[in-house]
Amino acid sequence: MTTNTFDQFSRRAMEYGVQPFSIATSFVLVALLWTFPLQHIIAYPFVFLFFGAVMGSAWFGGVVAGFIAVVQSSFIITYFFIPPLYSITVAKESQSFLAAFILCAIAISIVSSTRKRAENAVRAARDELEAKVRERTAELERSNLEIQESERQLRALTEAIPQQIWRADAAGRIEYCNQHLRNYVGQQGSSLEGESFFNVLHPEDTLIFRQGWESALVASGPFEVKVRVRGADDAYRWFLVRSIPQQAEDGTIARWYGIHIDIEEQHRAQQSLVIAQDDLSRLSRTLSMAEMAASIAHELNQPLTAVVTHAYACREWLGSNPVNFEKASATAEKIVQESTRASAVVKRVRALFRKEATEKHIVDVNVLVQELARLLRDESIRRGVAVRMMLNPNLPRIEADPVQIQQVLLNLAMNAMDAMSTVAGTKELIIHSEKYGTDEIAITIEDNGPGIVPEITTRIFEPFFSTKEQGTGMGLAICRSIVEAHDGRIWAENREPIGARFKFTLGMGA
Amino acid sequence: MSDETVFIVDDDASICEGLSNLLDSVGIRTECFSSAEAFWETWNDSRAGCLLLDARLPGASGVELQEHLNTSAIGIPIIFMTAHGDVPMVRKVMKAGAIEFLTKPFQKQELLHAVAQAFEKDRSRRHEQSIVGAINKRIGTLSDREKEVMSMVTAGLLNKQIAAELNLSEITVKIHRRRVMDGMQAGSVAELVKMCERAKFPSRSTSA
Repeated sequence: MTTNTFDQFSRRAMEYGVQPFSIATSFVLVALLWTFPLQHIIAYPFVFLFFGAVMGSAWFGGVVAGFIAVVQSSFIITYFFIPPLYSITVAKESQSFLAAFILCAIAISIVSSTRKRAENAVRAARDELEAKVRERTAELERSNLEIQESERQLRALTEAIPQQIWRADAAGRIEYCNQHLRNYVGQQGSSLEGESFFNVLHPEDTLIFRQGWESALVASGPFEVKVRVRGADDAYRWFLVRSIPQQAEDGTIARWYGIHIDIEEQHRAQQSLVIAQDDLSRLSRTLSMAEMAASIAHELNQPLTAVVTHAYACREWLGSNPVNFEKASATAEKIVQESTRASAVVKRVRALFRKEATEKHIVDVNVLVQELARLLRDESIRRGVAVRMMLNPNLPRIEADPVQIQQVLLNLAMNAMDAMSTVAGTKELIIHSEKYGTDEIAITIEDNGPGIVPEITTRIFEPFFSTKEQGTGMGLAICRSIVEAHDGRIWAENREPIGARFKFTLGMGA
Repeated sequence: MSDETVFIVDDDASICEGLSNLLDSVGIRTECFSSAEAFWETWNDSRAGCLLLDARLPGASGVELQEHLNTSAIGIPIIFMTAHGDVPMVRKVMKAGAIEFLTKPFQKQELLHAVAQAFEKDRSRRHEQSIVGAINKRIGTLSDREKEVMSMVTAGLLNKQIAAELNLSEITVKIHRRRVMDGMQAGSVAELVKMCERAKFPSRSTSA
């Protein structure tokens, strides 16, 4: 404690005693040494160097040193330069001069030390500022490095993810593609930005992609579509393209992020599954026909067996001696009952095959056709059939059962695709819609298959008439009954130069 | 006619009714069951007659009932009937001993012929059963030693051999043999052999 106090005291003494004193003394001594030779050259009384000493002391040593310099200078002047010389007494006429000197010296000392302090404060502030600036700069550099690092990692991630990724601006123009996407599309990738993305899509998928993309742009919602994308090797692979919009703070779309997932393998597996399912359903259809036939036969056989046995019994009762009329009559009654039961079975079977009651709504036939085309898309791609629609946009809406109309369309379209299965070149399925006469609309389904043998063009609508190995012969018969329930007609003809045309009409005033 | 009955098993009541009416009209007694299980629970082997069985039944099928009866060594004759018999099924049930396989609807004559055949088979089965029962009863009266001697006699062993085999005197064997012939009411060894065969009484093969 005492040493501490002593340290403090000695530091104080240095600061306010020894240091100012030595500074003041040195300045005053220098002034004195210069004044001696100079006083003979310059006019009496020469004291200006002492102002300098006071100024310097106050500047370098502070206000204390300034005052010490003032006191020392005053004594020296009094002693050496103010008459009587070499005495500390001051002649009367010189007293005002001394007083002026002291006042000026004090003023100089105060001004100088104040200036010095101000300057010091400014310097300190500047130093502090500089230090702060340095610190901030270092900080900034550090965070810059961090950002660069995380960006580098992020980029490495987008590049390394084994998927194809892109980013597009709000209008959907591609700005960035990752390496995988660029590698996949190869040379064509150089022009991937912007609209030219459509160039790498399969021509048949362009439309569906564009439709999906545009509606996503309008809805500002996520977008998903399965399309074929051409690779660097010019081969197409199936991709699941998924995109989501990123919203800016004001709610508008800032950009789109997209990913292409290669689903070629799944797609192939699915295709073979579909084929297997197809075979299976065809098999089960024929199986269920056989089963149904067996079940109907059984249903009918039971009452018939009863009828036959009762009839035999009746004959026995009538042939017995004496005739047993009572039993015979009861048996005849049984025969009536069982026959009625058999006919009920027949009625039930007929009801089973009769189409269900139609449920009619106001429908746009074009919409039904378009929905069907969407349903058929996978199937038609699998079979390599191009579906073309030529729909009259000004069709009036009609009252019809949409499910049944689509059933007819589906049946005719599937028949057409079946018919074209042997065609080697382009397979084309065309669906027209048009007004027909004054109160009907007509839908035509055309194929470029082998066409229909002319002799059977009318018979093909008969039930159980089939030209297909596995056919039930019911498809077109059902089509006809549906069309007729809609006040329409259905017919078939051959197309020139090749192919078949199925046409059906639907009444508008149903 | 005796109390022979046609046991009709068909889930369709009208078929049962028709069949029983027809059989009734020709003087044959019938009883109807709507399922294999119902038949199995009510019927016992003391009832004479035959089974008129629908091959397809809810629950256990007719074919399964046949298998069940066979494994239980119950030999009631079975006439199968069905609306649609497939060849493998027909082959199977016929192999398993069915009298006839009738396809609905069938002719009266087919049915009556099959029933007559079945009754005949049941009668001979029952006759056989009663004979075997009588033989077994007689066998039951014999002592163990006598049964032993009988099995050797039917195997064709001489008294001397039997005596050596059983460590008895020839006289004792002769006495046992006499008792066996009396107890079994057999006039000759040949008759005894036949009886044992019918009752499936094992004859002892000569020990080397």
